[in-house]
Amino acid sequence: MEIEEKKSRPFLSILIWIIPVFLFCLSVMMILYTPVFQDSAFKVKFLFAGKSLFEGKSPEAIENMVLRSGRTISSIETKLEKLKPVKPYIVVNTTENRFSLRNVDGDTVRTGVCSTGKNELLIAGNKRIIFKTPKGIFTVRNKQQNRPWVKPDWAFIEDGLPIPSARSAERIDYSTLGDYAMEIGNGYMIHGTLYQRFLGLPVTHGCVRLGDKDLEVVYNTLSKGSKVYIY
Amino acid sequence: MKNKIAFWIITLLLTACLIFVAITTIIRPVFTKNPLPKATVRNYSEEKKKVGKDEIINPGEDTATATETISNSKDSQNKLLELKRKENLLRSRLILATEDSTYLVLDLINNLAILELKGIPLHECHIIHATISNSIKLYNKDALLGWMAEPFVLRNVEATIPKISYVEKIAPKDTLEANKMVTEPKEAKLGDVLVVMEFERNLRLIISQNEQPDADGLKLISDIRRKYNKNEISRSIQALTKFNREPVKPHIEIVIPKSDATILYKSLPLSPRLILKM
Repeated sequence: MEIEEKKSRPFLSILIWIIPVFLFCLSVMMILYTPVFQDSAFKVKFLFAGKSLFEGKSPEAIENMVLRSGRTISSIETKLEKLKPVKPYIVVNTTENRFSLRNVDGDTVRTGVCSTGKNELLIAGNKRIIFKTPKGIFTVRNKQQNRPWVKPDWAFIEDGLPIPSARSAERIDYSTLGDYAMEIGNGYMIHGTLYQRFLGLPVTHGCVRLGDKDLEVVYNTLSKGSKVYIY
Repeated sequence: MKNKIAFWIITLLLTACLIFVAITTIIRPVFTKNPLPKATVRNYSEEKKKVGKDEIINPGEDTATATETISNSKDSQNKLLELKRKENLLRSRLILATEDSTYLVLDLINNLAILELKGIPLHECHIIHATISNSIKLYNKDALLGWMAEPFVLRNVEATIPKISYVEKIAPKDTLEANKMVTEPKEAKLGDVLVVMEFERNLRLIISQNEQPDADGLKLISDIRRKYNKNEISRSIQALTKFNREPVKPHIEIVIPKSDATILYKSLPLSPRLILKM
């Protein structure tokens, strides 16, 4: 019996050292994974919580607060309603090169592909020209059919051509913008394209290009003052 | 005998060490510090002045929800809580709708991430999975309401994809060079996405993609995750030396499709705002 006890002692003595090793590992784990332990600790805290938001308030006081809150909500909802567009609008997604045309209720009436800015930086000597579609909220300022495009300087720089004078006839291009064009400010437009196969790709100098059929629908739906949301 | 003494000394020392670590890094920050600091609520009347002219709220103009008969106090407490939540959400929306920036609405009730501008939803995506810290889920509702009362403003962001990327091109000298430079446009390959956004009031929002990343993407993703883990470890070590750890940083992690994650990140402005609905 004694021999058996002596034999089991070394085993026990090794086994007992697991305790300090475990304590050490646990301390290290607590430092390495503090957020995990903290998150679990919140469960414990929750068990002892139970403080109510409206503790100590009379039912009448709560009812008054309900009424006041209801009034504030309806007032804010009215304000938000006023901010909604009063005309159909278009939403352009520059990451996926897609558009959605929506009516005043916000329902989508047509979706499709478009082309937006190619995100290119053209370096010409000291000049740096960025070709990108601006993001934000814009307004249709002008609508025109068969609008000629007055080429800006960058169109010549990009083609390696000399820049003509401001009123030169060389600047006028009758085919690029397609059948319809809608100005949205700062020289940016929603217009057609000769390069239908590039629709869905970021290829433009900042304008939004649409396919012929989509352009016609968009042109007929949007009016001067319609909102254009670009993101 | 010697072994026994050594065992007890080491065990006691390590126990003391464990207690110290636990108190400093876990118990104190969790039980004594508020992880959800209260938002400074803007004066609503100031916002009203910006939006419209007929601002006076008619006291008799009660909504249907507000005038319903409230049977018992428990019901009315729940109703009030719901109304307060709705009020906070609408107030935040109104504040941001008066500005010209795109903002993100995280609707964790309906599992939606919505990109909005002027109150108009531009892009909506379904959240496949959302993980919310217990420090948000289980904290008292009073603090939670105060915490979410205003939109969150971004403080810092780390992402595996660039927000804006430009291709640089040197202008050609002549038409010959210009013709040589013409290339057929191709659809850009979407990079793997992990976005870690740190907002004011302690909130960390992690946007990750649902798809399995490729080898390069995986490296970028683990680099960002490792960086944040390192930060947490150094904060814990600092806490041990100073016996003071900052409040717990609650986080929300959402998993959405890669294309949606890219759109959300690229479409938000540099300093975006966030509205939480939960």
